[in-house]
Amino acid sequence: MSHRPARRTRTAVAALAAASVLALTACGGPSVGATSSGDSSPDASADVDWSQVEPAKEITWWSNHPGQSQELEQQLIDDFTEETGIEVDLVTAGADYDEVAQRFQAASQTDELPDLVIASDVWWFRYHLNDQIMPVDDVMEFLDADAEDFQPALYADYEYDDQHWAVPYARSTPLFYYNKDLWEAAGLPDRGPQTWDELVEWDAKVKPEVPKGGSTFGLSTGPSWGAWWFENMIWGHDGAYSDGFDLTLDTPEAIAGGEFVRDLFHGSGVATLSADDAMADFSSGLIASTVGSTGSLKGALDAASFEVGTAYLPDGPKGGGTPTGGTGLAIPSSRTPEQQLAAAMFLEFLTNTENTATFSQATGYMPVRTSAVESDAMKKTYEQTPQFRTAVDQLADKARVQDDVRVFVPGADALLNEALEQIVIEDADPKTAFKAIAPRIETAYTENVEPYL
Amino acid sequence: MSAATLPRPAVAARPARRRSPQLGGSLAGYATMLFATVVLGLPLVWLLLASLKTPEELYQVPLQWLPGSPSLDNYAQAAGAIPLGRLLANSIGLTVVGAGLKVALGLACAYALVFLDFPFKKLVFGLVIATLMIPPQITIIPNYTLVASIGWLNTYQGILVPGLASAFGTFLFRQHFLTLPASVLEAAELDGAGHWRRLWKFVVPMSTPTLAAVALVSVVTEWNDYLWPFLVVDHADKMTLPVGLTLLQNTDGMSNWGVLLAATVVVTLPILLVFLILQRRLVAGLTAGAVTG
Amino acid sequence: MTTVVTPRPSGLPDAPSARAGTPPAGPPPATRTRSRLGARRRRKALLWALLLAGPNVLLIVVFVYRPLLQSLYLSTLQWNLGSPSARFVGLGNYVEWFTAPTTGRVVGTTLVFTVATVGGAMVLGLGLALLLNRRLRGRGVARTVAFAPYVLSGFAVGILWLFMFDPRYGLVQELLGWVGLESPAWYTARPWPLVMVIVVYLWKNLGYVALIYLAGLQAVPQDLRDAAALDGASSARTLRSIVLPLLTPTTFFLLVTMMLSSLQSFDIIKAMTQGGPLGSTTTLMYSIYEESFVGGRAGYASAVATVLFLVLLAVTAVQMRYVQRKVHYA
Repeated sequence: MSHRPARRTRTAVAALAAASVLALTACGGPSVGATSSGDSSPDASADVDWSQVEPAKEITWWSNHPGQSQELEQQLIDDFTEETGIEVDLVTAGADYDEVAQRFQAASQTDELPDLVIASDVWWFRYHLNDQIMPVDDVMEFLDADAEDFQPALYADYEYDDQHWAVPYARSTPLFYYNKDLWEAAGLPDRGPQTWDELVEWDAKVKPEVPKGGSTFGLSTGPSWGAWWFENMIWGHDGAYSDGFDLTLDTPEAIAGGEFVRDLFHGSGVATLSADDAMADFSSGLIASTVGSTGSLKGALDAASFEVGTAYLPDGPKGGGTPTGGTGLAIPSSRTPEQQLAAAMFLEFLTNTENTATFSQATGYMPVRTSAVESDAMKKTYEQTPQFRTAVDQLADKARVQDDVRVFVPGADALLNEALEQIVIEDADPKTAFKAIAPRIETAYTENVEPYL
Repeated sequence: MSAATLPRPAVAARPARRRSPQLGGSLAGYATMLFATVVLGLPLVWLLLASLKTPEELYQVPLQWLPGSPSLDNYAQAAGAIPLGRLLANSIGLTVVGAGLKVALGLACAYALVFLDFPFKKLVFGLVIATLMIPPQITIIPNYTLVASIGWLNTYQGILVPGLASAFGTFLFRQHFLTLPASVLEAAELDGAGHWRRLWKFVVPMSTPTLAAVALVSVVTEWNDYLWPFLVVDHADKMTLPVGLTLLQNTDGMSNWGVLLAATVVVTLPILLVFLILQRRLVAGLTAGAVTG
Repeated sequence: MTTVVTPRPSGLPDAPSARAGTPPAGPPPATRTRSRLGARRRRKALLWALLLAGPNVLLIVVFVYRPLLQSLYLSTLQWNLGSPSARFVGLGNYVEWFTAPTTGRVVGTTLVFTVATVGGAMVLGLGLALLLNRRLRGRGVARTVAFAPYVLSGFAVGILWLFMFDPRYGLVQELLGWVGLESPAWYTARPWPLVMVIVVYLWKNLGYVALIYLAGLQAVPQDLRDAAALDGASSARTLRSIVLPLLTPTTFFLLVTMMLSSLQSFDIIKAMTQGGPLGSTTTLMYSIYEESFVGGRAGYASAVATVLFLVLLAVTAVQMRYVQRKVHYA
């Protein structure tokens, strides 16, 4: 009944439609073919003469406000704008480091990039591999930023290929938090346990003091978290995630570390897994001790109704050590030199002696400059609230560079956390758990790291 | 089996009320209904109550039911942390415009599919309906790169346009149009009324329940849309309410339930009110899709 | 007089009723006039079609089909989201997915989730609808309350229930305590996180199912029920032999839509468990998000998305063919 137009017209229309759709398909997306971008790195910034560049008047900063620092960050921005006239748009680009990084990845094919971005310990290298950030040495030197003053361990974390790819901002170590009131009630000395074995010993005394449903020690797991504090335990048994890029999860030492944490949860029962946030449980008095970031210190001091004690992470039978963590700040490489310069100026401002001290006082994160640690402001803080000092001291005494695999292989941290959760939640055999993730980490390495090196 | 072929029973009158022998059944029925209502409604009440509590009251064991002294402190904090007013305005604006456009698009498309004759019609209809089966996850990354490459990130049109195409609406409208008495439209055509007039003077007035349903479903979807606006916008001044909820979550530290729940109330309340006022229309239209009467 | 018919989603020919009322063919006018009139009418119709349906179709092509095709293309690449370059691997991503050790878990979780949510919603929804169909007082209120969760944001609902399920401070553990039960570790001990997510999903969608069924029930003629009652049939028998068969179109509709919706579920899982712990709440849909945005493997994620899409196609096709045969038309 319906009159069909001529066959030719129909075919023509169909062909046109199909062609246009296919053409549109080409919009966006990556260019296929090139696998190694090693030699062709668009390092325009290396050749930039910063003295000829006029800084941009407006920049964007992507942050997740570590340590609940949103207000403080805004305050620092206002101070900076007053001083230089450069406006900074503070954007909450995610709830945590992972979200900001994911958003940054998604935006990197586009123009909507920030001028300054949070670069955490497990993400900055991926940014670098994708040529998304620029090295900061030159511009920092131009600004007389005194890079020597940065805490060496913290700044060195971002070094690769003889260049630094980010600047420390909100840096932390994990701390052993303990409830001083409960400790006292249990008749324990006012300090953290020297070794994990000592904590297990003390459990008998602490347990009776803990409210119902609580425990002597609590932990939580999760990406960008579990595999971080676990490093200390595995190091304590003379094990490690990797030696360089070679996975060492099948060594007896690593497995011993796994067995230890398994026993902590399922054997001696000293530890319980916090449903959501171990720090919340700690501050509410439910668990007597935990491992938390020093960045949570201020929050804990405010929320707890008891006295909060902090200590180094305990040693294992074969020694110990602490990883560092937290986040630094990086400058995307695809921005204009004007924007990059303005961003670098702000970066320098944020991390100068006075401001890093202020930041530390408001959150608990470590001051990133040696001069700040020794400044009068911080000295006063340390006198009044010595807990702030613990991380700084621990950094000096026991800091150890994180195992390469966790920091340099994309997705490895999440996989390590997965194995940890198998052990802690499911009471899995560490050998099996590690074995399950090892090939996946290998794949991630060969796919995402090796071709780009 | 046709209902029309059954003879009417001799007893025509239906009892208005169940009598005593059925009272036991009624009691069980009331009890179950009460239980279902509580299960389905209590969480919302709980949400409201919790948003008025202080942190001490929230993190208390045993549970405290009512807030000791209900305070809007959580709301104030939420408004301080994120620009609630702006988020609300964005949500309302985008929802109204988005839903309106979706309705218009669905209406027009369905009219063409039912009342017009053109080549590839079946294909077009199939194409439109098939999109109901395409999971959003498969289109998100390519759409994102497209939107970004035309500079639509952090813009209202970037949030709105990619989701604007109407499939469900087209479908509902089409189902409804198929039931419209063709005689009326034929008469109008013979009287010289063009398609435009026919659409607005006849078809639309005869479709108000479906119109209301599609509008309401679109409103609900637009308001609650989460993943896409989250990806496209990172400046708080262009965000919608559900995305703003994420702004409040903070994992490096401690999550403040009171504030988060207060924000959840703000996200939930407007749509709930719209629903309560217009539910009959919404229900009628939605069920029309499944059952034609 | 009411009839219960199914909607006809896709690919089926136009219902004959659309053509009902076409004037009977009279003697045809002269051929030349007819074809000229016809040509003009055709062009006019085409123009109107372009104007009315064009925008919608254009949007669909650009924002649904184009990305679908591009996604198929991306699925043949190894692309680290964020990198300007990618590597062609053909079907490599698909092979990897089919042989990956985690795939079995994801598929299993998806199956459990889908069966539990769809089956549970249908059964409970029908029950609630039967209840609401009775002339009990206050059923209007009950109906409103039942349907309210459906209109809420999935993400917001997830947040709320996460709070309620808190093993220490949550409402759920309190209520369980009233009946003497201890709250399991909802967030961490398998299989409870999956149970938790399923419960929330059911809560959110139950009212919708109930309402659709209610409409279907109200289309069941009272005469039939009365006749059956007169004949001495118990309400259970009436239910089984009369009501349920008459409801098959509605059941079919719900089965299709609920299954599609369940397989695409995301917001609730994102808000509550983020796929964990240990991937126990990672459905196929969630794994796509994870692979692309967390793992950064956009090419691989596109391949998984394609698999999901094909599954949806298959499921719907099977339902169309097989189940529809069982549908009773009044």
